[in-house]
Amino acid sequence: MANSNLPRRIIKETQRLLSEPAPGISASPSEDNMRYFNVMILGPTQSPYEGGVFKLELFLPEEYPMAAPKVRFLTKIYHPNIDKLGRICLDILKDKWSPALQIRTVLLSIQALLSAPNPDDPLSDNIAKHWKTNEAEAVETAKEWTRLYASGA
Amino acid sequence: MDSDEDMHDANGSESLEDDFYSEDMGMESDDGDADYDFGNEETDDDAEDINLHRQQNYTILSESDIHQRQEDDISRLSAVLSISRVAACILLRYYKWSVSTVHEEWFANEEHVRQVVGLLENPIDIPNVHELTCGICFETYPRNMISAAACGHPFCGACWRGYIGTSINDGPGCLVLRCPDPSCGAAIGQDMINKLATEEDKEKYARYLLRSYIEDNRKTKWCPAPGCEFAVDFEFGSGSNDVCCKCSYSFCWHCTEETHRPVDCGTVAKWILKNSAESENMNWILANSKPCPKCKRPIEKNQGCMHMTCTPPCKFEFCWLCLGTWSEHGERTGGFYACNRYEVAKQEGLYDESERRREMAKNSLERYTHYYERWATNQSSRQKALADLHSMQTEKLEKLSEKQSQPESQLKFIIEAWSQIVECRRVLKWTYAYGYYLPEHEHAKRQFFEYLQGEAESGLERLHQCAEKELQIYLEADSPMKEFNDFRTKLAGLTSVTRNYFENLVRALETGLKDVDSSNSQAACSQSSSSKSAYGKGSKGGKNKAARSGGPSRNSDDDWSCDRCTFFNPGSASTCQMCEHHQ
Ligand SMILES: [Zn+2]
Ligand SMILES: [Zn+2]
Ligand SMILES: [Zn+2]
Ligand SMILES: [Zn+2]
Ligand SMILES: [Zn+2]
Ligand SMILES: [Zn+2]
Ligand SMILES: [Zn+2]
Ligand SMILES: [Zn+2]
Repeated sequence: MANSNLPRRIIKETQRLLSEPAPGISASPSEDNMRYFNVMILGPTQSPYEGGVFKLELFLPEEYPMAAPKVRFLTKIYHPNIDKLGRICLDILKDKWSPALQIRTVLLSIQALLSAPNPDDPLSDNIAKHWKTNEAEAVETAKEWTRLYASGA
Repeated sequence: MDSDEDMHDANGSESLEDDFYSEDMGMESDDGDADYDFGNEETDDDAEDINLHRQQNYTILSESDIHQRQEDDISRLSAVLSISRVAACILLRYYKWSVSTVHEEWFANEEHVRQVVGLLENPIDIPNVHELTCGICFETYPRNMISAAACGHPFCGACWRGYIGTSINDGPGCLVLRCPDPSCGAAIGQDMINKLATEEDKEKYARYLLRSYIEDNRKTKWCPAPGCEFAVDFEFGSGSNDVCCKCSYSFCWHCTEETHRPVDCGTVAKWILKNSAESENMNWILANSKPCPKCKRPIEKNQGCMHMTCTPPCKFEFCWLCLGTWSEHGERTGGFYACNRYEVAKQEGLYDESERRREMAKNSLERYTHYYERWATNQSSRQKALADLHSMQTEKLEKLSEKQSQPESQLKFIIEAWSQIVECRRVLKWTYAYGYYLPEHEHAKRQFFEYLQGEAESGLERLHQCAEKELQIYLEADSPMKEFNDFRTKLAGLTSVTRNYFENLVRALETGLKDVDSSNSQAACSQSSSSKSAYGKGSKGGKNKAARSGGPSRNSDDDWSCDRCTFFNPGSASTCQMCEHHQ
């Protein structure tokens, strides 16, 4: 596809992602579109997502790196900052984006978000409410979903 | 009412004006001031009031004025704090262009201020090596192709251009741009923009910076008139909220709606919201043709005043607003002006619940329609008058000066008349929003208000008609007419009388109709349950009677209206108190 004049930056980032992957994260470009990445993030230990394997897709728009990459969870996940379409509420994907950030930093931030859900800045009102009113129960549901949908089958 | 003051200024003959005041209101020349005011002690404060308004509490700024002020502020701050102009600009923008706030914060804790704003005290140079890698595109460049803010984080020219361009195209947020490195907060100032951005982006940035000086500053606003590029610097604490821009648009500083004195901002906001909610129902009102109430042929309204005359042979004269006979619209014929008031048709008989609800819904819409139509029609009438004033100033006055062999300096009274009409249409328009929200159960206030409004409105109709139709005769004349001097007296008189009516109306509404004291309201309520007759019951002396509320009724059948100027004179006067025309 339009891989012919891929910016040097994307090529360099891709090479580094493949040669020195961040722990618990894998990202590999699709064969027919070098701007589209298949991503896998392991649920962080000590989080309700521990033991889960979460699939995401990441796309680098034409304006990248002036504009942020587009990232979305493909695996169902019970998390106050992720909605049922897999969209993620994360500042660096929106107004806090900077062209000096990279795919790697974005994915590390998402991994950190799994360790530290933030129900005060929710994307999914119901889940956030659940988190705030009964955290223990919400965490149980998140674990349950991890078992059901992210067990890596 | 700033434009109103202008009219005072323009009038230039205070003594003449004073005469009109006392003659109009005092009627009997030996009767003094004692009983003509409506129990209103503020008459003497009036002059003071006007003086207060005269001290303009705002300044109109052109783009170059704004630029100059901004540059001056930046220069001064840069000198006081011994920092660069770029740094001074960043600081001022951060503290909403308040020089004093910057001073306070800076001298309280310079380090903290530097940190939040992103001004490094000790700039870091780009490493002194031959080649550097750009932090965005990861390409390697010779040192001279790399730029950095004070933090030294290196990026190449193309990436800077892209970074800055993206931010500028996102809007005014570009004014708080920081270094692209996410761990760094160094501010990117206008020097970097001018060095690194495209020409188009530099211009946009400069535009945002100028706008910020007006929009982020509590004391300044843009004139809201479409296409107007002036801004207003407003001094708080002084009287009026009204601002008159150099583009001639007048608006309320507080809510930026068109000037709405004497109605308050809250009422205006409610009314505008109501209008937009009802706009679909109300479109038909804005039509400019209605069937003649007598012969049913459609008559088009192409003049500003509400006095309509059907085409021959019908020639029926009627009121555009209520479709009633025009002859009932002035006290000249003994009628009482009541076109302004809304009356619910009395409901007789028994209704079942659903019928009553339907009836109520219909009434509430009818009631709104009544006020809305008058509001909207005065608005369009004002637009028309504004255009007429303009054509008067630009061409007709000159023509009239030729036709009547009068120097233009002697024709100022025509401009004054038209200016008065424009201002009165504006006030009258807003009094209909006021009337709509004046509670039904406040009978005395309502009646007093409707009386004042009716007086003002009928005066304005006479003035508007005179300026519009009678003037036409002199414009079309083949040779100078000796009647022109009478016309001058009449129009100047009507202008003055109308101004007086409107000043009363404005004053009364601004004081919340507080002049309606208990005795007054009792009198008003006990007079009649039919509101039409509350003040000046259907008699031609209506004006006098109400003007002396509480005083003995002294109008008799001898009272007469002047043929020439329509002024209403007491029977004791043998010549018109307005124009000295004989009865
Ligand atoms: Zn670069
Ligand atoms: Zn930096
Ligand atoms: Zn303006
Ligand atoms: Zn206002
Ligand atoms: Zn007719
Ligand atoms: Zn008229
Ligand atoms: Zn009428
Ligand atoms: Zn007269």
